[in-house]
Amino acid sequence: MEQKIQELRAAAQAEISGAADLKELDGVRVKFLGKKGELTSLLRGMNQVSAEDRPKIGKVVNEARAEIEKLIADKNSALKAAALQNKLASEKIDVTLPGRKVHCGHLHPLTLTLNRIKEIFIQMGYSVEEGPEVETDYFNFEALNLPKDHPARDMQDSFYITEEILLRTQTSPVQARTMQKNTGNAPIRMIAPGRVYRRDDFDASHSPMFHQVEGLVVDRGVTFGDLIGTLDFFCKQMFGENTNIRLRPSFFPFTSVSTECDCSCPICHGRDSNCKVCHGAGWLEILGAGEVHPKVLEMSGYSPSVVSGFAFGMGVERIAMIKYGIDDLRLFFENDLRFLNQF
Amino acid sequence: MRVSTKWLKDFIDIDCTTEELAERFTMSGTPVENIIRAGVGLEKVVTGCIEKLERHPESDHLQICQMNVGAGEFLQIVTGAQNVAEGQIVPVALVGANLPCGKKISKGKLRGVVSNGMLCSPDELKIEGDSSGILILPEDTPIGVPAAEVLGLDDDILEFELTANRGDCFSVFGLVREAAVLFDRAPNFPEIKVDEDADADAADMIEIKIDAPDLCSRFSARVLTDVKLGPSPEWIQKRLEGAGIRAINNVVDVTNFVMVELGQPLHAYDYEEISGKVLNARRAVAGEQLHTLDDSNRLAKGGELVIADAEKAAGLAGVMGGYETEITEKTKTVVLEAASFNSASIRRTSRAVGLHSEASGRFERGVNEKATVTALDRAAQLLQEMGACKVCKGIVDVYPAPKSPVKVQFTSQQINDRLGTNYSDAEICGVLKKLGFEISEAGAQFDEDFITDRISFAAKHLGRAARELSQNASVDDFVKNIGETVGELINRSGSKSFVTYEATVPDWRNDVELMDDLAEEVARIFGYDKIPATLPKSAQQGHQSAAQNFADRIKNILAALGMNEITSFAFTSAETFDKLQIPADSELRRAVPIMNPLTDEFPLLRTNLVGSILENAARNFSRKNEDVRLFEIAPVFFPKALPITEQPREIQKLVGLLMGRREPKGWAQTSAEIDFYDAKGIVEELLAQLEIGNYSVEAGSHYALHPGKTAVFKKGREILLTLGEVHPAVADAFGINKKIYVFEADIATLIKCAAKKFSFESLPKYPAITRDLAILVSLDVAAGEVEKVIAKSAGKIFSGVTLFDVYTGERIAADKKSLAFNIKFQSGERTLTDEEADAAFKNILAAVEKDFEAELRS
Repeated sequence: MEQKIQELRAAAQAEISGAADLKELDGVRVKFLGKKGELTSLLRGMNQVSAEDRPKIGKVVNEARAEIEKLIADKNSALKAAALQNKLASEKIDVTLPGRKVHCGHLHPLTLTLNRIKEIFIQMGYSVEEGPEVETDYFNFEALNLPKDHPARDMQDSFYITEEILLRTQTSPVQARTMQKNTGNAPIRMIAPGRVYRRDDFDASHSPMFHQVEGLVVDRGVTFGDLIGTLDFFCKQMFGENTNIRLRPSFFPFTSVSTECDCSCPICHGRDSNCKVCHGAGWLEILGAGEVHPKVLEMSGYSPSVVSGFAFGMGVERIAMIKYGIDDLRLFFENDLRFLNQF
Repeated sequence: MRVSTKWLKDFIDIDCTTEELAERFTMSGTPVENIIRAGVGLEKVVTGCIEKLERHPESDHLQICQMNVGAGEFLQIVTGAQNVAEGQIVPVALVGANLPCGKKISKGKLRGVVSNGMLCSPDELKIEGDSSGILILPEDTPIGVPAAEVLGLDDDILEFELTANRGDCFSVFGLVREAAVLFDRAPNFPEIKVDEDADADAADMIEIKIDAPDLCSRFSARVLTDVKLGPSPEWIQKRLEGAGIRAINNVVDVTNFVMVELGQPLHAYDYEEISGKVLNARRAVAGEQLHTLDDSNRLAKGGELVIADAEKAAGLAGVMGGYETEITEKTKTVVLEAASFNSASIRRTSRAVGLHSEASGRFERGVNEKATVTALDRAAQLLQEMGACKVCKGIVDVYPAPKSPVKVQFTSQQINDRLGTNYSDAEICGVLKKLGFEISEAGAQFDEDFITDRISFAAKHLGRAARELSQNASVDDFVKNIGETVGELINRSGSKSFVTYEATVPDWRNDVELMDDLAEEVARIFGYDKIPATLPKSAQQGHQSAAQNFADRIKNILAALGMNEITSFAFTSAETFDKLQIPADSELRRAVPIMNPLTDEFPLLRTNLVGSILENAARNFSRKNEDVRLFEIAPVFFPKALPITEQPREIQKLVGLLMGRREPKGWAQTSAEIDFYDAKGIVEELLAQLEIGNYSVEAGSHYALHPGKTAVFKKGREILLTLGEVHPAVADAFGINKKIYVFEADIATLIKCAAKKFSFESLPKYPAITRDLAILVSLDVAAGEVEKVIAKSAGKIFSGVTLFDVYTGERIAADKKSLAFNIKFQSGERTLTDEEADAAFKNILAAVEKDFEAELRS
């Protein structure tokens, strides 16, 4: 009996290890441990065993059973693991295939640039003002100390609708409009972004329509030094902390201490003589500014002996071209998707 | 304006590079746009004498030269040139030279013999001459000096881009005056004096009249006799060439020379040709004939300033002279004109005739009317010095209303307050004096704050001293206290100046009128970079308006929905209206016309954005960008009346466009094209995100859209948005043979219809029950109407309906379509029972059966 059990055990062991898959293994289990299995039938023959041998034989049988069960369980896990392994192996994909593309929208680079400009000035306490694009001669020129026959209002530079109405050539009329709206009350801190129009041919550096941001501060005791600090802060925010500004005296009819403002080239910092943006100059002209001309203050109802102010005007295209290294103005207005998709 | 640096250095001793000079000018408000370099590459080329010449032992054609290059230095140079001989002086490129021809000179050996430089041919120096051999210089050429100097290539030209206010810098003298201040050197201007050596008196020979004193404030003239016309001396020609002016003859050259030197344009008349021997500055009569010196006959518009003789207009004042009185070889007697013309008038005239000259440019900026006589004297002097004329006695000078000098009062406090600086009286007055302003004290002015401050200071201290004295302080202490108080008062007064000064503006500066202008002078001379950067103090909050925020929101939403923002021009044309099929009587054709459009293509301001977005789509399509999703927010313009009498209405519009594939091209993506419902989905999502709800959608019409595929989104009576497929004929007109979907909306209406407040809806606490409803209806039943009826008939527990299938085809009758809805019921108070849902469903079914003759699909 005992020998039989040992033989059975060895046979089970061999069959378990030889089982190729879970189904075969289950067959082995049924064969040895099932109701009609070999070990079970062996147990049924226990009544032929003498009473004193029974405990001993019983123990041997139970041990054999436990061992076979354990072997089956182990084999089961091993087979399952192998099966999973095979399944995973068979599921392998080419991860280098491109992902499914989605249509992605983009804001225009001029909007992105303008948004940043607005952010910078709003955090400095400026409101965002607007004015009409078709302007009167009075607001576009006269209220800005540009009397008739001033060279800057040359017929060749402006699109006229009538003798007295034109497409605004600058966002500066919003200065006068805002001051008149505030009827002599200070402080004023505003920027006025918008489209402006000049009678220029459309080429790499000119466009009959482009965008400007005008700025105006009017208050008691506003100095030229305040303007310098403001422009310096703006350039550092716009182009990076290590940006510097350089001011060159200039002339605008609507400012009295007038300046052109250059910023250091944010691309090469003046270190690359072949720089695509500054061409080695190291400086880039970005805006014109100055203390508000006393006549401009007076015309809009402010007394120059009580308040002073500064104003600045910048081209959004110019800032965007510097920021993104764009070399052709036309790209902004051609709206080629291969261009727009880059922003 | 162009001017040679040598010309400037004739009058001021400046020792700096041309770059430094240009930088100083630019940084003080006289911008140098460009430097035209002379002698680039000749820095290491000097003159040298061939002391010894011998044959190269190893070569037939090479020669070994021992060169004397000055200062006792000798160089051995091997040359292949055959035209050299001992004793000749030639240009020698030293080691390290980087010649204009591109050659770089280094130490070397030629067939074993050391060579330390190169003898240069004209070609190698990029100058004219016989390039078959070395350039042989004249025998008297000094040895060891820069070749550029000997060749006259050391005069750099500065090209100024002057600002409109600085007419005074439109001259060599003006620039020298600036340089004198910038470099703190005294200028040495030439002495201008004339020997009136002709017998005649100018006043007897010519009469000068000003009939239009508002356009001509001064007219001065000199008469020159025995004129010998010929070429002017080389130095004058060179200076003019540097200034970009062609030399013609001595008389004309001198008028140009003096104009560049002093800034005063001059005009020379042939005296014999002046009819009646009178010159009159008067207005032209309309239709008057003008025979100008370019031999063209012009018709006066009337009102232009002309200089006329007794018979006719002899020229357009300040713009172009007359043909008859032009200086010719026959000219024996010359009348020289130096006048001051009204800048606006000159500008109008030169613009009208399309003529911008050196003279008109100066008159436009304004000339110094005080200096006309000086200019005449300078011209007479120069011509006399070259023996080209005799000068008549006297000057005929008509100056009806001499300009009185401009005086500006200021305190240093005012200037410092404007700039944010702390310059002393002495510093400020010093700069202004150097610039030619005369400064005098106009009195001391104490403002009220100052006096109050001083009185209260004195009262406080004296009061305390008196109290201490009454409390038994010693008299010595009392006296000491008083002394300290007085001392402090004096100190405080001294720290702040209240002297009011009066600056008399020099007559050449017509741009300074106000204290602010003086502040600018001070700032630009000390340097803008010396002013401390500060920030204005303010407690103001920054913001943009709700409308601006709304437009920004639309942009962000549409970008998130896969649309690209564009920026297009505001111009359009009647042809575009035709392409868009805008009806002839439509308001959209009543566009604002531009008086002077850039080209005939764009003579109008746009009344819609559809045209421009289609143009942009077409451009992309032609460039093979086929999946196009664009949008723009921009104003359109409508006249209040035509012809235009006032500013037009400007209306902010939104336009969007979609065409191409539903999904981008890819290996596992559908290649299906988008359809109407893709576009509608985007529009619905936009409206949802803008919190615009409870709108209806109806079939509608639009000039540029497919009549059967146009939807109008309405809220009440307001039209929120129109969406549709572009009419195939319109698409074709724009060159696109694909389906395009366009939507347009009015921003103000969207703002009006958007929810003012965002209201949050809590998540449901009780489960929902859903039922599917599949019905057959006739083809012309609008699904939107069915949905409305479902919503209405479902009762309170209705919480939503989704149309999930639409079917037409073989399995149902040809005139029917099948609509399948998923209907959701839910209550905020309790869990619904199936019976409640069934009852609601029955109501719905009854309603759709009644309203649409719908049959339940089994």
